[in-house]
Amino acid sequence: MAYSFPEEVLEHVFSFIQLDNDRNAVSLVCKSWYEIERWCRRRIFVGNCYAVSPRIMIRRFPEVRYVELKGKPHFADYNLVPEGWGGYVHPWIVAMARAYPLLEEIRLKRMVVTDETLELISSSFSNFKILVLSSCEGFTTDGLAAIAANCRNLRELDLQECEVDDLSGHWLSHFPDTCTSLVSLNIACLVSEVSFSALERLVARCPNLRSLRLNRAVPLERLPNLLRRAPQLIELGTGAYSADLRSDVLSSLTEAFSGCKVLKGLSGFWDVVPTYIPAVYSICSGITSLNLSYANIQSPDLAKLVSQCHNLQRLWVLDYIEDSGLGALAASCKDLHELRVFPSDPYVPEPNVSLTEQGLVSVSEGCPKLESVLYFCRRMSNDALITIARNCRNLTRFRLCILEPHTADYLTREPLDAGFGAIVEHCKGLRRLSVSGLLTDRVFEYIGTHAKKLEMLSIAFAGDSDLGLHHVLSGCESLKKLEIRDCPFGDKALLDNAAKLQTMRSLWMSSCLVTYGACKLLGQKMPRLNVEVIDERGSPDSRPENCPVEKLYIYRSIAGPRLDMPGFVWTMDANMLH
Amino acid sequence: MIIETKNTHTPLLLRNPKQSTEHRAVFLTHFSSTISISLSFNYLRIDSGPHISESRNVPIWNAPVKRNSEENLHSLMSEGTMAIVKPEMKSYIWVQTADGSIQQVEEEVAMFCPMICREVLQTGMGSSKNYAISLPQRVNPAVLGLILDYCRFHQLPGRSNKERKTFDEKFVRLDTKKLCELTSAADSLQLRPLVDLTSRALARMIEGKTPEEIRETFNLPDDLTEEEKLEPLRNITDDPRIRLLNRLYARKRKELKERERLKNVEVEEECVDERSVDELLSFINGGNGGVWTIFERATKNKKKPEEKRSTKDSSSNNENGSHDKNDMVDIVATPNKTSILQDSTSVAFSPKLEFDDSVFEDELDPAMKEELDRRFCHWAKIEDLYQSLCNGNGSLKRYTGLDQRQ
Repeated sequence: MAYSFPEEVLEHVFSFIQLDNDRNAVSLVCKSWYEIERWCRRRIFVGNCYAVSPRIMIRRFPEVRYVELKGKPHFADYNLVPEGWGGYVHPWIVAMARAYPLLEEIRLKRMVVTDETLELISSSFSNFKILVLSSCEGFTTDGLAAIAANCRNLRELDLQECEVDDLSGHWLSHFPDTCTSLVSLNIACLVSEVSFSALERLVARCPNLRSLRLNRAVPLERLPNLLRRAPQLIELGTGAYSADLRSDVLSSLTEAFSGCKVLKGLSGFWDVVPTYIPAVYSICSGITSLNLSYANIQSPDLAKLVSQCHNLQRLWVLDYIEDSGLGALAASCKDLHELRVFPSDPYVPEPNVSLTEQGLVSVSEGCPKLESVLYFCRRMSNDALITIARNCRNLTRFRLCILEPHTADYLTREPLDAGFGAIVEHCKGLRRLSVSGLLTDRVFEYIGTHAKKLEMLSIAFAGDSDLGLHHVLSGCESLKKLEIRDCPFGDKALLDNAAKLQTMRSLWMSSCLVTYGACKLLGQKMPRLNVEVIDERGSPDSRPENCPVEKLYIYRSIAGPRLDMPGFVWTMDANMLH
Repeated sequence: MIIETKNTHTPLLLRNPKQSTEHRAVFLTHFSSTISISLSFNYLRIDSGPHISESRNVPIWNAPVKRNSEENLHSLMSEGTMAIVKPEMKSYIWVQTADGSIQQVEEEVAMFCPMICREVLQTGMGSSKNYAISLPQRVNPAVLGLILDYCRFHQLPGRSNKERKTFDEKFVRLDTKKLCELTSAADSLQLRPLVDLTSRALARMIEGKTPEEIRETFNLPDDLTEEEKLEPLRNITDDPRIRLLNRLYARKRKELKERERLKNVEVEEECVDERSVDELLSFINGGNGGVWTIFERATKNKKKPEEKRSTKDSSSNNENGSHDKNDMVDIVATPNKTSILQDSTSVAFSPKLEFDDSVFEDELDPAMKEELDRRFCHWAKIEDLYQSLCNGNGSLKRYTGLDQRQ
């Protein structure tokens, strides 16, 4: 084939191959394909910013237009990663500013972004279009002002759950009058009030605006005006959903919503005053995505709302929905793909709402297309899990979080091994799993035996011995990310399966039994692994070698040990130098 | 349609109705993309050389705009409207493939290929066997047949989108080799729609496969080394840091050589250091690291992170606390519940890796530059120590021995 197939033609074939896995496969076929592929690769995803350096990436892929980077480990969301750990994006932006002048899109997750970084982005890429910052931190609204002011072709500015030093809402006014290209704006995580007139004018002059997610500071009374200026919206995040009870507000709101004929997604809903909920009823039938995870709506109103959304595919909601609400959901929303139920008050020992395993069971019975579940609850049984597994064989993501650790099956007092075993046995396409409750090594045996497509596994307060970890590392062929906390897993399983670690993106273990000596050994033995010990008690050298480390983060890397570690992180390598 | 007949004038009625001029007229009037080409083609033919046939002077675009149907044709014929159109032989274009074989192709089919079309228009070739258009090398007779089948189908304007799609789907059900040849040939003939169709089909054959499977499918060599597959830490030839180091070492070597040369001129007593290179190095490096480790520790942690306190307004958040709703805490309870509350006062660090002195010499990023400096200084220190050991009369052999260990 290679004999008369010109490069441009092969490049044209590659242009129809976009998935990362496929492109990676293509690049490993042979020398000529490697070369052609690297020159026409436009989109790069780096799942761990320390696995590769900007220099290496730029050297290999000179013509990139879209970059996605991830920084801190997932458990950073649970405050398990100390501040200052790392994940700085600035060196990447500096390097890309020189190498990729045509860069259009940057997506970052769990990275530290500074105002300097944002200023650099805004001034380096003339065709910059999309900035998505997810769970990022380190910048202020001044940085946002630079983006607003300088990115002439900005289409998307999306701040998802970021920690922004919100100096003022004035930054929004930095969008010049000539800016008409916005397609998506998400400022939901910001606290300060932005200038409403600036916001209205911005919305009015961007005819392609499809997604607008406001922050809490935008009052309900302002919403109708915005909606009238943007009836083409597909996605809307309201601000605070409360106002004094006035009929004109309600009618104005109702009318404005009914004008949004193509609205598919709703979110926001802080501080809901139930009287205003019916304003959205007219568009409920078109809604496919509903994020009520900040909404303090109680069960009857919630049930009424969701049961009007017959085409609902995704629901994020607080446990106020209760079993009854979930029953209504199961009866009305046959197209449901994804359900997330968050705890309204996880800290109280006694349940504050009537949400049990029954809710999830009824959804599994009523919604055959269910693929993705994140469920917080206080009790579970093996029977329920087995039923769910049999009902929803298409599950790809199943995360069950029983709030109290070591909670057994409430009916039989047994561990929940059998239940989770059924999940992995019946759901052959399962890619992500979080386990909780009382669990022995047995559950990990099931997981290692059956969960062949599993890519990410989260374990907390589970297992009896190293055997558990061994089952997972030796059995789960597709495993990429493993995060463990407070489990009795130690050195043996880790060292026995050291080679496995190089086939994974990362391993996190905190409050386990892995010793400093084992960490050192691992670091010395495995040249392409970065073994980082995180210990805020001081240098591990000050303790005996058989002392367990506080936290351990192991990841494969071709960039060598990183150079930006704070004082409480040590990289184990051959020289054993800090 | 490989018929080697001479161009003769045959009366209309004897001709195969399916190959009528009306058919071609319909093609010409409806096929907008080639209309202007055909029109200009006609004008060109009128004006150019001896291979023109009289029939080209016919304003056939005035022919009735009717779909290709025999009834219409016969009715037209009986009405005598065909009198406007001169009796006309079926027109062919002559093409020659790389293997030397020549064939005729119906004009409307051949003209569907931009490359052939251009050749006809610009050079006037293709009207006879002697002036056959030479097709690009990538077009062999077999694949030409396939391409012509494609053209023959698609050049008919009467086809619905569904028909075209169905045809296309069936058309690309070929073995890999044929598909590749077809893609390549279509590309050389600039037949864009076919290139896209076949490229997509090839892409589908590649998707979902492992590199090994792809190699098998396309019969490709496995010529990447293990090293290349893993994208190694040290790609000796490629790493600009290594290259720069080597350049610096080479420069140093040259200087020392020069100095050596000058010293030898002055006939001095040679200091012979009997110690091996290893011994020397361990002496220089000291027991547990010596110069190297001291220097390492000195440069590391030079840049301290800046602390920046952020004013976190935890009270204004919802009563559930400032949880990250996207990925909630899987297990909230810890053995010591109070530790969670302590977590709420967070300090946001914004450490900056100082790039103020970022003059990017040799295109190294500052982190690399720092490490480079470290190495070079290390080398300088070794060299200095070494010089002092041997009273400045270090043997060149020792030097190169040291060098080879790098």
